Amino acid sequence: MTQAATAARIDDEGGGSRLSAATLIGPATIVVAAGIIIPMAILFRYSLNQFKPGLMMVEALTLENYIKFFSDPYYLTIFSTTIRVALTCTIICLILGFPLAYKLARTETRFKNLLIMLVVLPLFVGNAVRAAGWMTVFGNKGFLNTTLISFGFIDEPLEIMFTETAVIVGIIAVNLPFMVLTLQSVIEGVDRAVEEAAFSLGAGPWSMFWRVLWPLALPGIIAGTILTFILGMNAYATPVLLGGPKFKMMAPLVFGQFQLNNWPFGAAVAFLLMLTTLILTVAANLLMQRRYRR
Amino acid sequence: MNLGRAILDKRRLGRYLLNGVAGFTLLYILTPLIFVTWLSFFSQTIPSFPPEGYSLKWYAAIIENDRFVSGFILSLQLALISSTIGLIVGVPAALCIARYRFRGREALNNLLLLPLVIPGIVLGIALYVFHVETEINTGLPILGSLLGLVSGHVLIVIPWTVRLVTASLAGFNRTLEEAAQNLGADRWTTFRRITLPGILPGIVAAAMFSFVSSFGNLELSLFLVGPGRTTLPIAILQYLEWKIDPTIAAVSVVQIGLIAAAMLITDRYVKIARVV
Repeated sequence: MTQAATAARIDDEGGGSRLSAATLIGPATIVVAAGIIIPMAILFRYSLNQFKPGLMMVEALTLENYIKFFSDPYYLTIFSTTIRVALTCTIICLILGFPLAYKLARTETRFKNLLIMLVVLPLFVGNAVRAAGWMTVFGNKGFLNTTLISFGFIDEPLEIMFTETAVIVGIIAVNLPFMVLTLQSVIEGVDRAVEEAAFSLGAGPWSMFWRVLWPLALPGIIAGTILTFILGMNAYATPVLLGGPKFKMMAPLVFGQFQLNNWPFGAAVAFLLMLTTLILTVAANLLMQRRYRR
Repeated sequence: MNLGRAILDKRRLGRYLLNGVAGFTLLYILTPLIFVTWLSFFSQTIPSFPPEGYSLKWYAAIIENDRFVSGFILSLQLALISSTIGLIVGVPAALCIARYRFRGREALNNLLLLPLVIPGIVLGIALYVFHVETEINTGLPILGSLLGLVSGHVLIVIPWTVRLVTASLAGFNRTLEEAAQNLGADRWTTFRRITLPGILPGIVAAAMFSFVSSFGNLELSLFLVGPGRTTLPIAILQYLEWKIDPTIAAVSVVQIGLIAAAMLITDRYVKIARVV
């Protein structure tokens, strides 16, 4: 019996089958719905409340938290810094990630699995641990400054810790594995024969890349870019540890407001952060569907 | 002929450039891990280069540090409990998504993957206010409790289980199940003797990814831990906000080792390259 026939048979079983399907998926659905939809609804409701110092939260129905965010230059600067950092990291991740993704996709040796594990391992190690590694490199007597001074390139140690540069370097390292793995899976789907065809028709590597590989891998490039941008926007541990107390991005701002007990404003900032993320995801999906409908 | 040579030279140059950047990127990704490991063997407390000497004393000192030991134990418990619950509810859900055709299937699938899309910090604060409201309205002491922490972590492990087990079911040959049923096996026996062994690699991968994503989670836990209860990633973050020294590096190396071990064990069952 073919798979289609089997599927059709299950459908024909009617009521009993529907019941067992519901039993199978029910518990997970309830857990996720209760754990996401209800809390999100409450969070949104909180974002419309008022904050009164001393009283903490006062029930209200107002947009003043959102207006406060968009009318105060302090918060707008944080918002624009976040977008700037996320954008910079995304572009660099794409440039650095593509060659590695290509090598991984085209490697046939037994080292392939080992290489992929080396890319995946840092992903799971946690951002705080990786920030610790960068702190060792960037400190006043850290590896970078000591090396540069001993070679005579600089006389005074560079101030890298607690700067935007440090945060960007750190976030790129955090996001690169996501970019590489996304691109790799798409490049693997591109038939090698089309590359060879381009070469045998006289294309150089550069025009092969732009005219063959890039258009064919575009869905993965868009997916990887969006994922990396979202992760950059939402980075928490890296800006806190490498940027220091004065450097502010959106995710640390949410946590800071929550610590200051200003729940309504914290909720509003969290909601704006999520909205930016969701709009981008949806936009990317629509873009891809329109391009690849055929 | 000259043109042909020029193209070949260009291809060779392109290949060098490609290999160079690929190698640089891999090194870039691994740099923080290399340096944190190096620092953990320094003999002096200050992370200054070149090191004055090497020592293993920081590893011995971890055991005496209460925050790290209790954080490690809590993270371990949390990851074990959450990934077990994640598998119990996630595997049946994956079966349903892979095997049944019904209206709203795609929507349900997306719902189950949603926890991976929502920013950790946003989900964390949402769960916190949810727990506040629950405690006010029902009196259930969930705020900052282990139950609250587990329920949050279950959310982030479900998508991994659903995704990996669904993928593994898609590649499973259903005629084997047909054959078992034709030979008189009932549904449960068929599942236990045929389907389960067939998708075991997917389940092992799901368990591993669930475990490490719960163990390493920082953003959700930040909002859900209670007084006197800290997970290992939070303990590491708080220590690093204060200072960096070989002690914290040694703790980090222990975590790296644990996760590497989990990956190597999983790799014996299912090639990591095929599931990520």
